[in-house]
Amino acid sequence: MLHHKALGFKSRQLMTMLVIALLVLLALHRPAYAEELYARVTVAEAYIEIHTSPGRGYPVFYIAERGETLLVLKQKTSWYKVRTEKNIEGWVSINDLGLTLDSSNELVNIKAPDKESFINRKWESGFMVGDFDGSDVMSVYAGYHFTRNLSMEVALSNIYGDHSDGHAASVSIVHQLFPQWRVSPFFTIGGGIIDTNSRSNLVATKDRSENTANVGAGLRIYLDDRFLLRLQYKNHIILTNRDDDEEVDEWKIGLSVFY
Amino acid sequence: MENWLKRILLITASTSLALVTSVTAAEQAVQVIEPDIERREVSVDKIDSGDFEIGAFIGIISIEDFDSEVVYGARLGYHFTEDIFVEASYGESEGDLTSYEEISGGPPLFNDSDRDYSYYNFSIGWNIFPGEIFIADKYAFKSDFYFIGGAGNTNFLGDNWFTVSLGAGYRLMLNDWFAWRIDVRDHIFDRDSFGQDSTTNNIELTTGVSFFF
Repeated sequence: MLHHKALGFKSRQLMTMLVIALLVLLALHRPAYAEELYARVTVAEAYIEIHTSPGRGYPVFYIAERGETLLVLKQKTSWYKVRTEKNIEGWVSINDLGLTLDSSNELVNIKAPDKESFINRKWESGFMVGDFDGSDVMSVYAGYHFTRNLSMEVALSNIYGDHSDGHAASVSIVHQLFPQWRVSPFFTIGGGIIDTNSRSNLVATKDRSENTANVGAGLRIYLDDRFLLRLQYKNHIILTNRDDDEEVDEWKIGLSVFY
Repeated sequence: MENWLKRILLITASTSLALVTSVTAAEQAVQVIEPDIERREVSVDKIDSGDFEIGAFIGIISIEDFDSEVVYGARLGYHFTEDIFVEASYGESEGDLTSYEEISGGPPLFNDSDRDYSYYNFSIGWNIFPGEIFIADKYAFKSDFYFIGGAGNTNFLGDNWFTVSLGAGYRLMLNDWFAWRIDVRDHIFDRDSFGQDSTTNNIELTTGVSFFF
């Protein structure tokens, strides 16, 4: 009887100890598991500077030496948050991280976007303002590059005239002759629709919707990072129901980004 | 004779042994070429990024001739570098009676639905004064003072107006992904609702929060 009681007590104690051990193991295991989710790099240069915040002006508070491994936790603009073996967390610039080694002892293949990324861009999107036959015009566009020379673009525009305002949508094919140039000329051809609504203070004109065709030319100028400046001219032919089709000149300037 | 036989046996034995060992060595070499180790490349795409900013704001807008009213809206931004970001904003408000309508006591000049004020714009921002603020001895928070400008559309008094927006703001990063913002904007557009073209300045003061993802 007494013996059984003692055994019961002992087994309960054993169970409790096991549970505690299991919890401790789990607790110990969890950070290790979390670490497995992050990329691990090794410092290859003499040292790497770790900043307090993601920005060039923020103080360098720690220097990781050659051979130290860093976990890459997250990225923000051209900065990467890292954790050292000593659990110190801070921010490393993209170009510094590009000089570290990955698990196969090769340089990490990352760098800040440059002219090469501009040449090899796939997606491009931008915002443009300008003049549409004497009216203000504002457009957003997005394009996809099938090859270095050829891309397709979709654009939406708002046109603000004295007597009417319009919404236009168009699809265009864009061809650039010299994709490797920093200042790259292009030609474009496309079509779309334009809705024209009379302003509320006028009752005479009727709202209408018409098809358009356009040809144009322009320049893309690579600025820096992921930015390019875009200048373009388009000649629109508005296919009206009236006797004559309308011809409209459009000049625009805009800022675009690419990926 | 026996010695001769022994020698031959020894030679065959040793050569075959050498062959066998070299073969196993070769087999082992083959195995070394294909190690069962899981290699983890550092893939840029897999690193958690925080370049997008989404947020909501509330504040006051002074709609020229139509009193000051509550304005609220949302923003979606993308940060390219530590210096430059782009942002699309949408906001809504409602104009009140003009001073003339209030004083004259006559019938209102505009329908209530025409007084709905909404705008959207695309802007580019420049974090010109990045900084840090300190609370007590322990806490330091990243901050940015920025200039921002862009163009967009305002829908007011039943028409769309091409609008230029200029302003400045302050963003305080409470942690890596959560920020508090204060923004001042002037939405400038030419309006001919009273017959003549006149440039209006619609100054807006807002505060809001945003998340980076």
